[in-house]
Amino acid sequence: MTGLRRRATFALSLATGLALLTAGCGGDGDDTAGLPAEENVDEPADAGDDGDDGDEEAPDASTGDDSTVRLGILGQCEGPFGGFHEDVVGGTALAMVNHAGATVNSTTSALDGFSGAEVAGTPIELVGIGCGDDTPDRILQEVRRLVEQLDANVIIGPLSGDEGLAIAEYAKANPELTVLAGISGSQEQTLHVQAPNYFRFYGDGAIWNAGLGDILHNQEGWDTVAVIADDYSFGHTSAGGFIADFCAVGGDVTHRVFPPLGTTDYSSYIAQLPDPDEVDGYFWAVGGTGTQASLEAFVNAKGDLTGDQHAGNLFFNPDLAQALGTDIAGAYIGGFATLPGDVQTPAIEEYLASADDTWETLPGSLSGNEPAPPSVAAAFGFFYGYYTAGVALVEGLAAVDGDISDKDALHAAIGGLTLELPYGDISLDENRSGIVDVGLSQLAVNDDGEIVQETVAIVPGVDQTFGGTFSPDTPSPSRDFPECEERDLPWEGNAIPVVDGVPQQ
Amino acid sequence: MTARRLLTRGNIGLALLVVVLLAMPNLASAFFVNFVLTQTMMLGVAAATIVFLARYGGMVSLAQFLLVGVAGFMFGNAAVEGGARGLNLGMNPWLAVVFAIVITTAVAFVLGALASRTTGLYFLMLTLVYAVIGFFVFAQIVELSGPGGITSIQRPDLMGPPVRLYYAGLVLSVLVYLGFKALGRATFGLTLQGVRDDPIRMASLGYNVPMHRTLAFTLAGFVAGLSGVLHVWWNGQIDPASIAIGPSLILLIMAVIGGISYFEGAWLGAFVYVLAFTYLRDLPLIDQIGITEARFNTVIGAVVLLIMVLSPEGLAGIAARVWRRVNKPASAAPTAPAGGPSSAA
Repeated sequence: MTGLRRRATFALSLATGLALLTAGCGGDGDDTAGLPAEENVDEPADAGDDGDDGDEEAPDASTGDDSTVRLGILGQCEGPFGGFHEDVVGGTALAMVNHAGATVNSTTSALDGFSGAEVAGTPIELVGIGCGDDTPDRILQEVRRLVEQLDANVIIGPLSGDEGLAIAEYAKANPELTVLAGISGSQEQTLHVQAPNYFRFYGDGAIWNAGLGDILHNQEGWDTVAVIADDYSFGHTSAGGFIADFCAVGGDVTHRVFPPLGTTDYSSYIAQLPDPDEVDGYFWAVGGTGTQASLEAFVNAKGDLTGDQHAGNLFFNPDLAQALGTDIAGAYIGGFATLPGDVQTPAIEEYLASADDTWETLPGSLSGNEPAPPSVAAAFGFFYGYYTAGVALVEGLAAVDGDISDKDALHAAIGGLTLELPYGDISLDENRSGIVDVGLSQLAVNDDGEIVQETVAIVPGVDQTFGGTFSPDTPSPSRDFPECEERDLPWEGNAIPVVDGVPQQ
Repeated sequence: MTARRLLTRGNIGLALLVVVLLAMPNLASAFFVNFVLTQTMMLGVAAATIVFLARYGGMVSLAQFLLVGVAGFMFGNAAVEGGARGLNLGMNPWLAVVFAIVITTAVAFVLGALASRTTGLYFLMLTLVYAVIGFFVFAQIVELSGPGGITSIQRPDLMGPPVRLYYAGLVLSVLVYLGFKALGRATFGLTLQGVRDDPIRMASLGYNVPMHRTLAFTLAGFVAGLSGVLHVWWNGQIDPASIAIGPSLILLIMAVIGGISYFEGAWLGAFVYVLAFTYLRDLPLIDQIGITEARFNTVIGAVVLLIMVLSPEGLAGIAARVWRRVNKPASAAPTAPAGGPSSAA
């Protein structure tokens, strides 16, 4: 190696190292006056520092006191749900625009954030967006960065099931923090962890399948079903809700197959499912990048997907599961945070229009991360879950008149909210998890020959205990829990029918 | 060894570095200490086991993060009581540490024995297989973990304040660094280096080559286990994704960035990695050139590529070269090591 090359190498390394160190010190240069590291971690929200980071530019000089809500959003920019990063940040941004007077910083991307949000004189400042990859370790690193480095005192997120569990535990260990879950749908994060500062203004995976088993068994005549679901907390919760519902009304689950989340080749898992002539139907709860891959593996191994023999959770919709084919018309789908597009009310129309007014386009997941009208993303649950969290933050702040110094009062106010939202009112149970209306739908072929979702029933007021099936004393949903047994469910036979997008009650 | 012989520049540099690191909680922000430096210490110890195996034994292992994870899972299974998953043994936390380390060391012994007759690429492949099997063992055996992992893992009261975890990591790092360096001059270390250089000759001289490799792997497993316990204390939870192939590769990448033949390189690589992960996205205008947090792995990949091309001995190798140039007139010793991360960073 020549001397020149050696010097160049050294200079390059030195420059890289110095740049990183500068960034590092820039991000932390506030605390050099002898603040022991022992302090301010258990109380991250009001660590006594003055001005948290040089790289966040000037306006946050007031950090360190309780006069500003310093908001961090936890999304996923990598992993099976990485495509929803724009959607989820957009949800919270729209809530700030609609309810806190904010303006977005870009009309073509939500990731540039918003500014000017304020409630009852208390500004809401977006300090950072965390980038998860669907693993609990990564989301913990991201939340620590937001809270302990960027001094966030309110977190909105996370997106996915296992992440929710990790963040709920983090919230429990950091009682000064306020966390409003984004769209993470595992049951355990609220029913079992029960952190007093962790709120979820939407349902969980089990809730969203309430009433589906009732329809399939009593209406469609399914007696036996095989279940295939992602092998993680949301997959377990979603399958658990369906199994509890289907078995409660007298059905039988013959197979439970759980491929790991993010599997690319599903053929060995599909092989574990019975053939179509051995079972009345299949229930799918495979999400993220696996939805498409698993359905294609089924078509390759066992033949076309037919509407009379398949049903699924929220991922089993024509936007995400493009392998469905037109034979799938007639298949049933569980609910999600929003209702399918055929249900239109003035509130929903106003909400969707507000999204289109806020941005010109958004590259959301349903449009393949290509620019599309923002209402496409806003009408789907990922965006909407983060929207509800943002609205809850605004209304919680309004309830305490913008005073966030008393965290107990703020948390009590948020816990007692009943949000009047476009897709239905939401209140919380004693574990701070949403009690929601669930919209079940069916796939149909429209006049253009495209597969669309049509709402068939709304199951009102479903809570996490699922009619007593689940409680803090029962195990979390898993590969073999809940067992298949008959029981009474409060909504059996009580679902509100929906015809042509209009609830019949 | 006399006191005068101990007063080498390297030792003085190390001592100074340790003093600075001990003072860091009073000099830097809580986040820098409890997040960046604590992670550096924990991951540095784990990466040092890769360096130990590579430098003394000629074995590049991809299974070290698995052993970090085994210790974490075992501690979680032993210490947690009434959790949603796992064995829920509810042991005293310190007894759980002993349990975790014993199991991890035993696992390392078995895995090491199985791999002891392979070298080079075959050893790398075999340890890669270990890492993959380890992931599925914990993902599939729900009695030990299952996909959701073990959550709500509390550290012992003594380790309550986060800064104590940093000090524990620092003490462990110093002990591991000095221990591995000393081992290189002990009989076992010298024999291991002989096995690395010419296993056939060592065997013909009567040394049990597979046994030496097995014991080296076991020792590395023991040390990785200590790092694993610290890691699970710091993280509060562990799940199969924690020990998937990604983190396993990242540990090797840290060792490569730092310099896989320098013990200092383990901590240096870990420091650079954590620093980049944490602060790269904060650099001014960095997102304007497309380097957002989602592109972090691309950046790390480019850094590794750059290091492989420009300095296969990693950052510590660059530091050592600079050190030698600075001391050229007095450079009698051919491989004077760098004084540690401070001399390079």
